[in-house]
Amino acid sequence: MKLIKFGVALVAVSLVAAGCRGGGDDGGSEAVDAPGVSDEPCPTPVNDGNGCIYLGSISDLTQGPFAALGVPIVDAQKAFWQRVNDDGGIGGYDIDVSTYVKDNLYNPQTHQQVYGEISGDVLALAQTLGSPTTLAILPDMESDEMIGAPASWTSLWAFEDVILESGANYCVEGMNSVDYAVENMDVGSVMAVGFPGDYGGDGAAGAEIASDGHGLEFSSVETEPGQENQGGAISSIVREKPDLVLLGVGPTETAVIVGQAASQGYQGRFIGLSPTWNPALLETPSAPALEAMYMQSGPWGPWPTETDGHAAMREAVGQVDQPNDGYTAGWVWSYPLKAALEEWLEGDYDKTRAGLLEAVQALETVDYEGVLPEDAGNFADDQPVFTQTLLSSVDPKAPTGVVVEEDFFEGETAAGYDFTGACFEG
Amino acid sequence: MTEFLESVLRGLGNGAIYALLALGFVIIYKSSGAISFAQPALMMTGAVISSYIAPALGAALVGAVAFFVSVTAAALVTALVAMAIERLAIRPMIGRAAFTIAIITIGIDIAVRVITSGFIGLGARPVPNPWGLERTEILGLRIQERHLVALGILALVVLLLVLFFRYTRHGLAMRATAFDQEAAMTQGISVGAVFSMSWAIAGALAAVAGTLLATSAGVDRQIWIVALVALPAIILGGLDSLAGAVIGGLAVGVVESLVGSYQGQWAPWLGNNFQVVAPYVLMFVVLLVRPYGLFGTPEVRRV
Repeated sequence: MKLIKFGVALVAVSLVAAGCRGGGDDGGSEAVDAPGVSDEPCPTPVNDGNGCIYLGSISDLTQGPFAALGVPIVDAQKAFWQRVNDDGGIGGYDIDVSTYVKDNLYNPQTHQQVYGEISGDVLALAQTLGSPTTLAILPDMESDEMIGAPASWTSLWAFEDVILESGANYCVEGMNSVDYAVENMDVGSVMAVGFPGDYGGDGAAGAEIASDGHGLEFSSVETEPGQENQGGAISSIVREKPDLVLLGVGPTETAVIVGQAASQGYQGRFIGLSPTWNPALLETPSAPALEAMYMQSGPWGPWPTETDGHAAMREAVGQVDQPNDGYTAGWVWSYPLKAALEEWLEGDYDKTRAGLLEAVQALETVDYEGVLPEDAGNFADDQPVFTQTLLSSVDPKAPTGVVVEEDFFEGETAAGYDFTGACFEG
Repeated sequence: MTEFLESVLRGLGNGAIYALLALGFVIIYKSSGAISFAQPALMMTGAVISSYIAPALGAALVGAVAFFVSVTAAALVTALVAMAIERLAIRPMIGRAAFTIAIITIGIDIAVRVITSGFIGLGARPVPNPWGLERTEILGLRIQERHLVALGILALVVLLLVLFFRYTRHGLAMRATAFDQEAAMTQGISVGAVFSMSWAIAGALAAVAGTLLATSAGVDRQIWIVALVALPAIILGGLDSLAGAVIGGLAVGVVESLVGSYQGQWAPWLGNNFQVVAPYVLMFVVLLVRPYGLFGTPEVRRV
């Protein structure tokens, strides 16, 4: 009898001890059994008694062409999750996004290699930068049931369950840009100039769909990255004189193309997809041409926009040398992952990666604190493409060199288009 | 015809930058027998240094003077950096195969680029200059002023190099070492000093080229890629020929510009970016006719 009593007491003590462990005590009753989740505190703990959820980041941090974006994206995400931790964490856990940050050099092979290095140590990816790079790990992510926030806007992400995209994709940006130009600039011809692959290609595909819908003359020119490689694109623009050029290139290429084309007599208009802009362009000799001829398309408002989310970002990121919308992007991309973790830990889901994926698929809205409408975070619907974008014009006095000219709008092409797959299938 | 000639002039302007880079490659090759793949990083370093010096001088000096002073200062600092690299990483490798040294320079290139990128920041760093994208008219042809400046600087550099190699003790020592290292050593020439000098000159030339390149859209983390265009230039010009480097650089610039201007019109079936491979096609064609390049020395071995 004594033995039975002792056994019952032991079980009771064990249950109490399990209940008192960090994590899992706020929501779901089940113990968490997923990689990257620990009952031990984070390396830099914020809340006493909290366990730790490790999120990985694979970004372009040193040598790649998007390092100027990757670095602020990582910084903004650290600030975002620090704010979450300062507010008590999620479900009894602090979130760590500093321990597993890897450089992909914007190389798909490197991306795949570093993913393999961290995939067993993290619950999810706070960032996977680039489209070709993320495509390289997509099969692994699917087999690992690893969800991740992308740092790119290709339309394919809307059809991948493990990717938590935010805002409109390049294809929609292309559609809305052409629709806007038709209404406001009286255009009869459109040329898409972009990098080969799903960035330039996705934007060009959207512009072509819209141009066809409006009966506009459309042409497309691929151009390689690099200042010295823009001669062909510039010659095409100057020779064909399209009324509108849609750019899907990097900031430096934007400066070269707009400046040189204007210098050679081109007088049409340019609209650049979101990654084409960097405020430093206003210090190049192309600045006058950019001010006169260029508009930037974007999936959300730039750095100084007055929303609760933007204000929180500016406060969390703190003083920066140069405000940059890489910060804004890193911040915004973090909201769906936060919503998914809350849903997973507080809801009745298996406390495994599969359960987290299930929680993502239950999200019908995400609170972006006003940066995006809540329905932009619909991961449950079969038709989840968000089709509103903004257009900004150049203003050297603005912190990031652009001010919103046309707030969130949906063009008639995107509104009527049936998104059943990626626009660009290269 | 006007459009054609303007395209040629644009090509010559860009080609002047390639020629400056190619000269650096050739000078190191002639002295050590190895190709230095660290030139892209030195080019980037020079451009970044200019991007810091030029604005600082801008307040005190008028535009063109500030630009030329910053170019000179960047060339000197980059030369010192190149000398330090040679002394620390290359000199201990003397006697090793040229291939080994070339591989080491790739490592140096990556390391220096990563360090230099840290000074660039998030965007492109501008190099203030008085020309911008302004164009001027010569004989009815419109040409960008910065291209004229590049061509003028190339002419000046070539003149200075000719005078240096012909009339100075160090220049003669470098020529002797390039001809026969062992014979030069028996004549009391310090081969180590010659190596150091060749790296310094190549570093300075790379800095000038980088600064000129950055007058268009500033210095970003990818600017180093341009230096690779100098490789077909030195091969088609002849690996050991300074004249070949200049002619090769200018030829690559002109071919690139003409292909960029006309290929889309006349040969669209070649694809959108044929101008990127055009320098290599040119190199291939030249090598078919002259295997050692236009001005290269045919290698003769006794068997």
